[in-house]
Amino acid sequence: MSERRRRRWTAWIVLAPFFLFGLAFELLPMLTLVRSSFTTAAGWSLGNFSRAFTPVMIDSFRNSLQLSAVTALLGVIGGTAVAYAIVTSRRRVVRDTLTALADVTANFGGAPLAFAFIITLGSTGVVTLLLKAAGISLYPHFRIYSVSGLAIAYVYFQLPLMILLIVPALLGLKPEWREAATNLGATRLQYWLRVGLPVLAPSLLGSFLLLFANAFGAYATAWTLTGPDVNLVTVQIAALVRGEVQLDPALADALALVSLGVMGVCVVGYRWLATRPWRAAP
Amino acid sequence: MRGRAAWRFVVLALFLAFMLVPLLATVLFSVSIRWDRSLWPEGFTLRWWQAVTARSAFLDTLLHSLAVGAATVAVSVALVTPTAYWAHLRVPRAKPWIELLAIVPFGLPGVVLALGLIRFYSGVPLPLINTPAILVAAYVVLTLPFMYRPLVNALEAVDARTLTEAAQSLGAGGWQTLLRVILPNILPGVVNGSLLVFSTVFAEFTLANLLVGTRFKTFPIYLVEFTRFDARQASALAVISFVVAWLASLLILWLAGRGDRPRETLAAR
Repeated sequence: MSERRRRRWTAWIVLAPFFLFGLAFELLPMLTLVRSSFTTAAGWSLGNFSRAFTPVMIDSFRNSLQLSAVTALLGVIGGTAVAYAIVTSRRRVVRDTLTALADVTANFGGAPLAFAFIITLGSTGVVTLLLKAAGISLYPHFRIYSVSGLAIAYVYFQLPLMILLIVPALLGLKPEWREAATNLGATRLQYWLRVGLPVLAPSLLGSFLLLFANAFGAYATAWTLTGPDVNLVTVQIAALVRGEVQLDPALADALALVSLGVMGVCVVGYRWLATRPWRAAP
Repeated sequence: MRGRAAWRFVVLALFLAFMLVPLLATVLFSVSIRWDRSLWPEGFTLRWWQAVTARSAFLDTLLHSLAVGAATVAVSVALVTPTAYWAHLRVPRAKPWIELLAIVPFGLPGVVLALGLIRFYSGVPLPLINTPAILVAAYVVLTLPFMYRPLVNALEAVDARTLTEAAQSLGAGGWQTLLRVILPNILPGVVNGSLLVFSTVFAEFTLANLLVGTRFKTFPIYLVEFTRFDARQASALAVISFVVAWLASLLILWLAGRGDRPRETLAAR
């Protein structure tokens, strides 16, 4: 018994470096933020949070939440449409090439992507000039260096991610279900409303949450495209990291903790939806 | 039937245009003499490529990024491979905890990770702040999901238990089994994870900017600096970034063959 126990104990030793690393660079840094955001001179308190929510910060959360919700929704709708067009395509070349494109572009992002959009849709951008020649003036009504411009750049990385996430679920829709529905007299709309969407619902919702988190935590794209002009949570936190942390560290920590909470809800929700046992639609 | 084919064609054409136009525009822009007042470039030149690659900062930042990418891959492989193997084989009870550590980075914005690291390590007597070492550590954390998932998939696919028993019945020790038997068998998973890690690190801006900034300039930092004052030279740098990400993805696809496998992907933005 004691021999077995000793062996079990030594078995854990091999895992020690990994857990120590996780502790040192993942858990302790986060716990530092938790502790410091709940601590004021008077002891444990929520004071930092009430102080953190100045009008500017509330505005940054509103912008970030809106941008994430809109681009996640566009990503889910557009990505599902494209993924459906891909998986139902009869030509293998089309399926393989477009899946590969989604695979590759899902890795594009951040600074180079933001810059590609400046070249494409900036004030003297390639497409801007093209549209102007066609009689459509984007500027000054639209600016790529604004929240709506940022949304376009975000959709660029949301779309391929959505395609990769939803293709397996779409492949899980059995053709037999559709045949059965048709045999029972269902229209296409009825099939989608009563069979297709209910089966896909958990995947769609889970993907929405992941895309939401993906946009909410993004910083490099926003910084390259709009600098400090667009007020987002990540831009605010980065500004505090670069400069004002020394002045009011607890403030930045409180903000970081709230955004961590938003991200946590999304990722936990996604995992729950992705790993829960699959149930057939009743 | 024709109506359905038309619908598919429109959706796919719009998708292709949206995904490809910004990339092709950037490539073309980087070899254009001028392309900000006419519909088509006013002639082509390699001047911007020559100018931007001739700077010493170009090679420095490129080497910095390659070094940080390679170091991150090395640390991650050394840390995650034995752990995933051992947990898979001997300590299944540890798996949920490892999984937890490997999932948390999905919900960890770069700015928050940077803030946490700075706040914690400025309070302990370790000379890590502002060094490339802390950047590598942060990257290992950030990319844990990319390394862990393919490894576990590979371990599950090759029946690591039978292989281990076979190796040990022939007298192999623990490390010998891992390095000589298991590793060659799960190599596709290791390479797949490494490529994802490398391409993520190579393009990462947020952590590099906040953790080391100008003290150890990486390629994305150099790129962002250029976008502020010379668009044409910056476009050449953006093309290099895209090509590296594209090569890594192609290698992964090539290694994966034609199998349709779901993968967890969430590069740093």
